Amino acid sequence: MSALVNEVARIISNEPIGPRLHLMVLESPTIAAKVTPGQFVHMKVPGAPDHILRRPFSIYSRNANEGSVEILYQEVGTLTRFMPSLKEGDAELIGPVGNTWTGARRYKDGSCTHALLVGGGVGAAPLFMLAEQLKEAGCPTDVVLGAQTKEALVCRARYEALFGCEPSCATDDGTYGRAGFCTSLVEERLSQGCLSDGKPYDYLAVCGPEPLMKIVAGMGAQAGVYTELSMEKRMACGIGACLSCVVDTTMGKKRSCVDGPIFKAEDIVWG
Amino acid sequence: MRQPRQTNVKLAVDLGGLHMKNPVTTASGTFAAGHEYSDFVDVSKLGAVTTKGVSLNGWSGNASPRIAETPSGMLNSIGLQNPGVKHLLEHDLPWLREVGATTIVNVSGHSFDEYVDVIEALDESGLVDAYEVNISCPNVDAGGMTIGTDPKSVEQVVGMCRKATKLPMIVKLTPNVTDITEIAKAAVSAGADALSLINTLLGMAIDIERRKPQLARYVGGLSGPAVKPVALRMVWEVHKAVDVPLLGMGGIGTGADAVEFMLAGATSVAVGTANFTNPTATVDVINGIIDYCENHGVGDVNELVGALQ
Repeated sequence: MSALVNEVARIISNEPIGPRLHLMVLESPTIAAKVTPGQFVHMKVPGAPDHILRRPFSIYSRNANEGSVEILYQEVGTLTRFMPSLKEGDAELIGPVGNTWTGARRYKDGSCTHALLVGGGVGAAPLFMLAEQLKEAGCPTDVVLGAQTKEALVCRARYEALFGCEPSCATDDGTYGRAGFCTSLVEERLSQGCLSDGKPYDYLAVCGPEPLMKIVAGMGAQAGVYTELSMEKRMACGIGACLSCVVDTTMGKKRSCVDGPIFKAEDIVWG
Repeated sequence: MRQPRQTNVKLAVDLGGLHMKNPVTTASGTFAAGHEYSDFVDVSKLGAVTTKGVSLNGWSGNASPRIAETPSGMLNSIGLQNPGVKHLLEHDLPWLREVGATTIVNVSGHSFDEYVDVIEALDESGLVDAYEVNISCPNVDAGGMTIGTDPKSVEQVVGMCRKATKLPMIVKLTPNVTDITEIAKAAVSAGADALSLINTLLGMAIDIERRKPQLARYVGGLSGPAVKPVALRMVWEVHKAVDVPLLGMGGIGTGADAVEFMLAGATSVAVGTANFTNPTATVDVINGIIDYCENHGVGDVNELVGALQ
């Protein structure tokens, strides 16, 4: 991992884009220049001094020219419920933290020829830079997205614009795409092969709630597809010192912040 | 990488035989062995780096979730996860020596003998400047706080450690007792050169939606600004009760916080949870102490120790 910075990052915009879902854009030129797909920033949220811990947010997109990064966040606790009220101010971002998805590297070395990306809920965001990277490299890539409702499928349009075709979508309530969990779409894709040429996938990347990742990891293993996932645990330091965010793996406990957040699915010991 | 600024204020302190170039070290467990923070601060410029608690053969620690944020604080129940003393000796301590850091090794054990074994494994290495004997971790079932709440056990384990080393030995106290001065006196009578306090306060938080504890182990240690008044009170009490120097900690995040602890009787201070909020907190605290001294005509930080009026 290259050197980390702690960068004062002005909030450029912070807008609701779905139910309890918000997009925040921050001016953070150093991190914008360095970040690679799957990495995150550890944010000190301004205006909330009683919240002493930073929060990790994956980078959804970056604009290296403008020096900005974008995060997608969901209101899940008191601090993320406070965050939408921030219209201006300076956050502090430690970053870019963590390792990166290996899809593009694998495409270059030939071990990945067809990729399938699976994003559940806000888990669609940390996969987007990987999708851009695979697209640019020329790797045939399909995308499966799942969300609770149509309104919560907030990343769909961006994936569609990138690939020029709609990702396979599922909603829990059936208001868009397949009704139910997106796992049935994953199963279908793995059995039918890549949409472009019907060839089997050899790279599967998944990010979303742990139960979803566990199921998809199982499907990937059964299909013999190399599978990666992005783990997120509660973090304190966010830089590998405190051992708060450990994940159980076949090699013992690993820190999700700096040994991850991307792990080989086969290494995870599920609780 | 942040460095302390230049000053004419004399910053060096003597913590029970340990020479510190300034009064600021790190609280064990919040700073690993310093390497992770070296993008942010020059660890060689700290008074000392206090390493994460180490046991003889390593422990895997507690189940997750291991932390929970609470108002102006946090609970942790890491459970002293560490790779063992051999790893520390081969990787972390040589690095600290190479960069020129002063090193305090926090020593943990499940039994009295394990504390001694850890010290014996380290003592000839020449890589340790002082020990901090951890008889106060609230997150393990054996050792830790179970020893540090009973004056007889404290005397026994500190006495055994004393025989194992001639290096400066700091004993870290738990606040989870009725009278911390009783424990402090026991540690000093058994040969502690200095005392550090406080370790975390045992606490709990509950997720009311799931009706489950926030921590897998149900309870954990509270740290951060929320505990500062308790820590300060205990430093003041112990300063009056014993004659050895004190390493004060508990919610220190600014130079002003550090000065409070020094006025209450601490010779040096440790920055812990504040590292998580602000990765340059250690150096910021040093600079804040310098600011205070310069603004108040204090030529030597030692003038502050116990100078409460």
